[in-house]
Amino acid sequence: MKKHIDLVQNHDSPEPHELIHIDCASHVYPDGSIGIHELCFKVKENEIVALCGANGSGKSTLLEHLNGLLLPSKGNVYVMGEKIDTTTKKDLWKNVGIVFQKSDDQLFAPTVLDDVMFGPLNLGMNKGDAWDAAMKALRAVGAEEFINKIPNYLSGGQKRLVSIAGILAMKPKIIALDEPTSDLDPKHAEIVEKIICELKEGHGISIVLATHDLDLAARIADRVCIVKEGSVIAEGRPSEIFYDIDLLEDAGLKEPKIVQVYEALCEFRGADVKKRPVTIEDLVRSL
Amino acid sequence: MNNSQASGHIPDLDLITHYSENCRSFLSRASPWTKLIGLIAIIVILTITQNVELLVALYALILYLYWQSDLPIRKLFDWCLLPILFVLSLVILLMWNEPGVPLFSLRFAWFSLTLTDNGLLLLVRLLLKALISMTASLLLLMTTKYAHLSAIIYGIFPSPMNQIFLMSYRFLFITLDMIDSMIRAFKSRGGGFIRSMSRQSQTFAEIFALVFIRSYDQAERVNKAMESRGYDGTYSASTEIQQMRSVEYIVMLAFLASITYLLLFYSS
Repeated sequence: MKKHIDLVQNHDSPEPHELIHIDCASHVYPDGSIGIHELCFKVKENEIVALCGANGSGKSTLLEHLNGLLLPSKGNVYVMGEKIDTTTKKDLWKNVGIVFQKSDDQLFAPTVLDDVMFGPLNLGMNKGDAWDAAMKALRAVGAEEFINKIPNYLSGGQKRLVSIAGILAMKPKIIALDEPTSDLDPKHAEIVEKIICELKEGHGISIVLATHDLDLAARIADRVCIVKEGSVIAEGRPSEIFYDIDLLEDAGLKEPKIVQVYEALCEFRGADVKKRPVTIEDLVRSL
Repeated sequence: MNNSQASGHIPDLDLITHYSENCRSFLSRASPWTKLIGLIAIIVILTITQNVELLVALYALILYLYWQSDLPIRKLFDWCLLPILFVLSLVILLMWNEPGVPLFSLRFAWFSLTLTDNGLLLLVRLLLKALISMTASLLLLMTTKYAHLSAIIYGIFPSPMNQIFLMSYRFLFITLDMIDSMIRAFKSRGGGFIRSMSRQSQTFAEIFALVFIRSYDQAERVNKAMESRGYDGTYSASTEIQQMRSVEYIVMLAFLASITYLLLFYSS
C-alpha cells in the first residue's frame, strides 16, 4: 500500500501504460473552497479504480478533472499521455466519459434513443452510425426496450442504465462513474455492478468509480484510492486498504461487511486476521 | 394512467404526455405534419371567419375528432375553465353597448349598460374561438409523440428558438416534479391551510425562490453533463418523422379549399 507521503512527492510524467496521470493537482473553487489538494492519481489500462471517501471529500471534483470539465489551479493532468490545458481539454470527452451521480442531470433529450445518440452525433458520426452505436450500447446495458420512452417516465434504475449507455455509445477508453449504485434498488444495483465489470472485461474500458459504498468497491475494484479532504491519502489493493481500520476511520469510512464478518469470526475463534477476504467467494474459501 | 395519478396542473403535462405516447387512434397514426398543418389551417379559419354557425360546426368537428381519438372528454371540460374565464374577463367589458337590437339594459345612477344581440354574439364568437384553438392544440399535443413534435419544431424554427424548445420540455417536467415534491413536503408539515394572506404569500414566495434557485443549479448540472458529451451549443433532433400519406394530402387539399372559400366569401 502506498501512503500519502510517497504519492505527493511523486512529481513525474505519465508512463506509457497510464491512461490518466494526475500530478499533484489542486483545485480551488471561485468561492475559495478547496476541491482537491495536491492530489496524485493514476489510471492504468483495463483496470477498475475505486475512489473511496466520505461525502465532500473531493471525489466528484476529481472526476470532473478527468473529463476536462474542470482544470487544476495547480499541478498537471495527463490523459493518454497528453497534458490537459485550455486548448487540449475540448477533445477530452472523446476519451473519458462521465456517468453523473444524478441521472436526471444527464438525460435531457425527448427520448432515450435521442439521448444515447447525442454523444455519437457530437463525435461526428452520421445518423445511421450513431443509431447503430446507440442501439449497441443500449443492448449492452439491457435497455433496448426503452428506446422510444421519454426519460422522465423511467425508474431510477432504468435512468441509470440509459445514462451508462449514453456514455458507452461514444466508445471512450475510460469511463468515470460517480456513485453508480446510490439511490438504486438492490436488483438494479446488481445489474449496474455487472455492467461495470463487463465494461472492463468485454470492452477493455478502464473504470474510475467514485463511491462510498465500500462493499461495491471491495467486490469489483482492482485498486482502491482513499480520498480525504481533496487528497488521495492511501492506495492499494482492496485486501490491503479495507483491513486498515484506522485508515478507514480517518477517512470517515467503515470497513466493508465481509471484512467485518471475517474479523468477527477471527475474534470469535481467537485466530489472527491472515487471509483478508473482501468478497463472499474469498470469505467462503478462507473458511 | 388514471386520474388519481394525474397531477393537479392545468393543463396536466403528465396526462397529455401519457396520451401522446400511448394513444393508438387514427389521428395518432397520421403524420405529425398533417396534424400541424391542420392546426395552422384551423387558426387561419378562426382569424378569417366571424360566422357563428361555421364556428359551431368547426367546434363540433374538433370535439368529434377528440372523442374518436379516445381522449378524455371530461378532463377536456375541466381544462375549458381557464380559457372561458380568460375570455369572460375580456368580453365582460366589451360586450356592452354594441350596436344592434337591445336585449336588456342595466341602469345605474349616471350611466346605463345595454346588451344587444351583437354584444351577445361577440361573447359567443370569442368563446368559441378560444375553445376551438385550445381543443385543436390539445388534439395535436395528445396524439403526437413528443419526439415527433420536437423534431418538427427543430425543422421549422431557427436556432436558438429550436434549441430552447428541445431542452425546455424535459426541464419543465423536472421543475414540475420539484414543485410537486416541495408542496407535498410543505403540506406534510401542516402547511397548505390559509391562516393569513400575508403568511400564505410569504410561503409561496419562498417556494418560488427555492424553485428558481434549484432550477438554476439543475441547469448548470445539465449543461455540465452535456458538455461532458461534446455539446458545443448545437443540439439536433435525431428522430425521423413519418411522412404524409396520399389520403392526408387529400385532407390538406380540403382544408386549403375551405380556407380559400372563406377568404373569398367571408373575409370581410
